[in-house]
Amino acid sequence: MEIHIQNVGMTYPNGRQALKDLTLDLRAPSLVGLLGPNGAGKSTLMKLLVAALSPTSGSIQVDGRPLAEAEGLLKAQLGYLPQDFGLFDELTAAQFLDYMAALKGLPAPRAAVQEAIRAVCLEERAAARIRTLSGGQRQRVGIAQALLGGPRLLILDEPTVGLDPEERIHFRNLFSQTAQDRLVLLSTHIIEDVQSVCDRLVVIDRGEILFTGTPAQLIQSAAGHVGAFWELEAAQEEGMHITARVNTSRGIRCRAVAETLPPYAQREEPSLEDAYLYLISREGDR
Amino acid sequence: MKGLRLFPLELGRLLQSRLTWLAALLTVLSPLTGLFLYRTTSAGTMLSMYLADPAVAGGIVGGILFGLLTVFELDRSARSRVDVLLDAAVSPLCMALVRLLALTAAAALTAGITMLVWLPISRGLIGSVFSGVDYVLAYLLFMGLALPLAILAAASAYQFTRRADLSLVLFAAFAGLSLTVWADDWQLCWLNPCVWALSDDFTNFRLFRSVAYMRLTWLAALSGLWALSRLCVRQYGKGPLGSLVRNARRAYRPAIALLLLACSGTAYAAQPFYDDSDPDLSAAQLYELDYAQGVTFLNRTIQLMPDTEAGTVAGRAVYRFQNTSGRGWTAYFGLDPGYELNASINGTELPAVRTGYEESNMALWELSIPEGEQVELELEYGGFPKDWNISSTSQGAPEVSGVYLCLENQRLAPYLLNVLPGETGYPTTVEITLPASMTAIPFGPSDASVIAENGDGTRTWRYESSSRGGILYAGDYIREDIEAGGITIAFYYGRKHQAVMEAAGAAEAVKAVVDYCTEHYGPLSFGAGGTLKLIQSRVSGGGYAADGASLMDEQDLTAADLEDRGKGASAGEVMIHELVHQWWGLGNMFDSAGDASPWSAEGLTVYTTYRIVKALYGEAYARENYIAHWQQVVDDYYLDFYVRHPEHLERLPEEARLEISNSLTYVRQYCEMPLKILKAEALVGGEDALDQILHDLFVRELDPAYPYLTYQDFLDACGLKEEDLDLA
Repeated sequence: MEIHIQNVGMTYPNGRQALKDLTLDLRAPSLVGLLGPNGAGKSTLMKLLVAALSPTSGSIQVDGRPLAEAEGLLKAQLGYLPQDFGLFDELTAAQFLDYMAALKGLPAPRAAVQEAIRAVCLEERAAARIRTLSGGQRQRVGIAQALLGGPRLLILDEPTVGLDPEERIHFRNLFSQTAQDRLVLLSTHIIEDVQSVCDRLVVIDRGEILFTGTPAQLIQSAAGHVGAFWELEAAQEEGMHITARVNTSRGIRCRAVAETLPPYAQREEPSLEDAYLYLISREGDR
Repeated sequence: MKGLRLFPLELGRLLQSRLTWLAALLTVLSPLTGLFLYRTTSAGTMLSMYLADPAVAGGIVGGILFGLLTVFELDRSARSRVDVLLDAAVSPLCMALVRLLALTAAAALTAGITMLVWLPISRGLIGSVFSGVDYVLAYLLFMGLALPLAILAAASAYQFTRRADLSLVLFAAFAGLSLTVWADDWQLCWLNPCVWALSDDFTNFRLFRSVAYMRLTWLAALSGLWALSRLCVRQYGKGPLGSLVRNARRAYRPAIALLLLACSGTAYAAQPFYDDSDPDLSAAQLYELDYAQGVTFLNRTIQLMPDTEAGTVAGRAVYRFQNTSGRGWTAYFGLDPGYELNASINGTELPAVRTGYEESNMALWELSIPEGEQVELELEYGGFPKDWNISSTSQGAPEVSGVYLCLENQRLAPYLLNVLPGETGYPTTVEITLPASMTAIPFGPSDASVIAENGDGTRTWRYESSSRGGILYAGDYIREDIEAGGITIAFYYGRKHQAVMEAAGAAEAVKAVVDYCTEHYGPLSFGAGGTLKLIQSRVSGGGYAADGASLMDEQDLTAADLEDRGKGASAGEVMIHELVHQWWGLGNMFDSAGDASPWSAEGLTVYTTYRIVKALYGEAYARENYIAHWQQVVDDYYLDFYVRHPEHLERLPEEARLEISNSLTYVRQYCEMPLKILKAEALVGGEDALDQILHDLFVRELDPAYPYLTYQDFLDACGLKEEDLDLA
């Protein structure tokens, strides 16, 4: 599957411009991490890709066809987990997944449902009414419905919210496996999730793409811009963004990103989080 | 196609919801309201009380419940945010259709369960006149179709507004309009059809057809509205107008909506059931036309071939005139507004012009007859007869079916308006071809006889008449000839009514009443040639009599009516009561001051019933079952607080006030007045003296020159004052 986003802009009826002239190519197999601060336009981009919104300018092509024409085809191959969703409380988890499998027109819905239930480790609660499930269990039902039938395009908006660390790792690995032959777009605030599984990152802020490339490339872009220093030695300097403060027996050890590091700062190897913060802060400073 | 595939899935999900089952359960129970709270019919037939009322009430309550369920169901996926998952899998437009189908299927299932649950109950309540066809049609049309209409209306409101609160307000307003402002407009009252009566003994296809027509007109309108609102289903983050513009890009979508709305509008405007007669009921232009000078009516022959399946009439009439004026002339005919007319004269086609004027359920046709002394005018006419628009809420008069038929005047044949009769009136020969099970009964002195047994299961009847118009009844009748009062009573009643009639001892009651009343008050003036036809008619709201025939409305002889304790102690006595009305109360004999006035046809009828029962069963029986009963009812009634203090009535709710005032009518007319007449009997010198007074009054009233028989007439004839008959 190939998605070509060309000069897409999206302005909401209230005048808020969520995306500006955005161009991006997505191609399977790949697990693309979508990063950006709140309100950056990540969810808007995802809604555009699932045809929940229509761009106010530009075009989106799916496998060479305009999305408006290929909408039916896209929906048949799509697994989507929005950030904010609900479920039919009167149904059991298995019934809800049966319902979604039938909606998607899966050829072997029963097997697909069983597989999805296994994938999200929900076997024990499959027969329970959704209204009785915990928040994390509901999130797993949401993920399961997205995974139903092995869709060629999987779009996941904050999928690991509400899950405990063990579950997060499980799902990270699951998404990684899924992306071996498909296109997975993963939006999250948890850098750790992205770092461990994504082979490509897209960073968005204020409706614009700031970076697109591999995690290593993003880390590399921050080389020489990450430093550590003792807070007592530091002067108030503009353009320096503290990313961590650690209390030690010698005092407070700070980690920061900056376009130009002060002389008292000791250079450090950047992490993905440092690189992301450096990128965002640099754009903010501009 | 995808919608059809998803439909069972959505239906399954809907049936998992407790709310769906609650709505279904309440709907199944809702016909109860028609038995106890909400009555739409005004007739006392068994099918009216125990089928029409529950079915209409079920439609109203069920429609409202399913309307609410629809709004709730459409709103809940948005409210619970499931829609974001569903929209990613299926187009919202497709889901809108699937949800509509699922809700409609749930409604159909509910209607089916309701019919099954109520079948034994209705059968038990209705008794021997229960009809499976009427049962199915009543529940299907009066109740069943209300549910999808409500679903379409509520779904449209939600799809336009996407707000549950606004949708509920709009739906409530729409239902409220039907129940109030539109309640008397048979085409607009989509939720509560105008059903005033269902016949027990004959068919109701005319009424069923009109309700079906109204429902289908609304179905097209609301489907069109729904299809339009579906275009406003929010997509791509757009508002209602943006979605409309986007969704209307596929031209067939708005085209279907507009086509459905256009169909509905056309159906509304072109309804075939009612005419456009002049709303001024005093208009009499048709009867004020100048008679053609020098033209005399010679005779006519009429051949009628009603299509009892389609409810239509086809006829051919040949009119023969003598024209001595030496000029051409214009013939005017009044014809049922639902009929078309073609004419030819002496074998040559003649233009028949429909003038466009309609009055008293007649359309005026004009024919220019050329000069010629002997004129043979052949008219071919027919169509679906129309009711008079003043009775649009009490429909069914021109019923034409394989069980019953009534053709009056302009429905029987073109009604000649401007040619004087010859010496023998308007000599007419009528032939009508009917299903073999039907008996033709001309309303008048002549008898119809079978002249041909046709191979297709029909028979052709012929009779002679001399009236300008004429009324013909036909139906699946049983005839009993009863010798009484010196004449032969040909008593016709519907075959379905046989069990009820036998249980009531109908033949014996007829004989007893006719003998008694003829002896005491005088013979009925409309007996002719030693025979009187007594015909049970389809429910029509009253009876009437004419030369040689008298009509009895079926609702006066229902099983429920025959159990009415106020009219007689047993079914046979109620039968006597209704027959006594042939003497007291037929036509316009009585005039009273108002509903609460004690003077009406009922007082004398109840009193006479008592006298007949006394003669048949003895004084002790009559005293216990009549005089003691009247006295008990009157005594109890005047103990009632509100009767003693009517000034407090105003403080009561309207329903309670009406209940008291309605019971006042019953007590005063059926119990108080008979007691007063009994007192008058004592004051004038006994039964024989009163019988002579009543005889004289009856004979006097037979003279059409006399006005109504009033209470004052009665008092004057007795030589009494009003206060003489005070009961206190």
